[in-house]
Amino acid sequence: MKIAVISCIHGNYEALNAVLSDIDDHKVEQIYCLGDLVGYGPHPNAVVEMVRSLNIPTVQGCWDEDIIEGLNACECSYPSILAEQRGKLAHTWTDQEIHPETREFLAQLPMTLRVDNLAFVHGSPNNQHEYLLPEIDAFTAMERVLGTGADVLFCGHTHVPYVRDLSDGLVKVQVKRSGVSETATQIHVAPLKRIINAGSVGEPRHGRPNATYVIYDPESAEVKLREVEYDYPKTCAAIIDKGLPAIFAWRLARGLEYAERAEDPTHICER
Amino acid sequence: MYWAIAAGIEGNLAAYEAFLKDLRQSRLDIEALYLLGDIVGPRKDSIKVIDRIQNPRPGEPEPQVCQGWWEDQCLILHALGRTGEPTQLFDRYGKAMAKTLWDAVPRAAIEWIRNLDFGFSELDCLLIHGTSMGVDEALTPETPVMTILDRLQRMGVNNLFCGRSGQAFDYNLVQGSMQTQVTMLDRPPSAQTVTLPAKRLIGVGNIGHALVRPAMCCTTPAIILLNSKP
Repeated sequence: MKIAVISCIHGNYEALNAVLSDIDDHKVEQIYCLGDLVGYGPHPNAVVEMVRSLNIPTVQGCWDEDIIEGLNACECSYPSILAEQRGKLAHTWTDQEIHPETREFLAQLPMTLRVDNLAFVHGSPNNQHEYLLPEIDAFTAMERVLGTGADVLFCGHTHVPYVRDLSDGLVKVQVKRSGVSETATQIHVAPLKRIINAGSVGEPRHGRPNATYVIYDPESAEVKLREVEYDYPKTCAAIIDKGLPAIFAWRLARGLEYAERAEDPTHICER
Repeated sequence: MYWAIAAGIEGNLAAYEAFLKDLRQSRLDIEALYLLGDIVGPRKDSIKVIDRIQNPRPGEPEPQVCQGWWEDQCLILHALGRTGEPTQLFDRYGKAMAKTLWDAVPRAAIEWIRNLDFGFSELDCLLIHGTSMGVDEALTPETPVMTILDRLQRMGVNNLFCGRSGQAFDYNLVQGSMQTQVTMLDRPPSAQTVTLPAKRLIGVGNIGHALVRPAMCCTTPAIILLNSKP
């Protein structure tokens, strides 16, 4: 039974439609969504309605959370003052644009989903805002997967898809306790774990404008990183027509990598 | 040169005096004294402990103090905490404890508590009550090794001293390795072996509980002394 995992649609209805068509072509039995249905893009209501009508199990993304809870991140979430200004503009626009039922849907989304040995989160199991980048320390990555109790952790948030296998983990520990003369030695072995980042349907940042998502076969453990062409100029035009910052259209047309990423990817704002 | 590191006086002045006496008798050259939180507690001597810390006697090191769980509860009771309700206090000790703690730590001490550091970072060491995740997180030798590693790596240090558990131990991560392979859209799979540099978690014990059992008060299980250049 193959599954498809999509993430970070960001109000891009054209991209979502193209990805759903591609999924149809691959005989997938179940679709999961890792959140960020809204934000940046021009069609947040249509995207939410599509995901809802298809009964796609979905976790809450950082944009979904911010729309429900209110924008409460400090400047640490943005790489520059300009980026912060753009982010706040997009938040205000989205907040005004979405319908009450869209807000209700976003509010009831869970932080994590667990199906058999698979876990689904937006950023990391700790927080929707934490980036699990492919180069993050291997032991840190392992801790994030172990924290879910699953063998495979699906995440998004970075907008760049990847598969990371973690294997043959071994840690040797020596423990000395007060009042005990002997030093105890422990050997900890970490089992094979995997992180699969689903990329981004509606705001890709891998260097091309094409939508990305993944197909996973739990039986064979085969992963396909899918890249789907779609009519991105149409979305770009809608971004400008709706009065969203034009730079969102500019970077969408380029699939600009490293856009709008905070300097410290593991930092979690607690303001 | 040594650092003296302890935690958990919990308003027990006699225990703190015993600790200081122990320190004097050790005849070690103490460069710094760190008290990793839980200075106060639901004991009437809490204010005396604060006074004693603020006014070290000639020849005694000036303690550097960070916030602990009990200080956090005091701040919450005075509407200065990170959360609105003292739910942890209620859950662990019942609602009556709120009044006991309120009476034990007068308002005059709250400003001092409020200005305490969350922790200290010095010479590749983090000295903290709980962890960087919060004052209530207790690390022990039973904590999953990956969680301990994560807490060390979050703060970018190789030595973590903490007092929350009340246990005294020295937990050395002496060796570690892992295979990792990353596959991306435009790149062939890249594999590497990651090795772990040596890291250390030290539980500094608890001073205040020692006098509950007087036989323990003059021993030093609550004190970890470390060469200041690990």
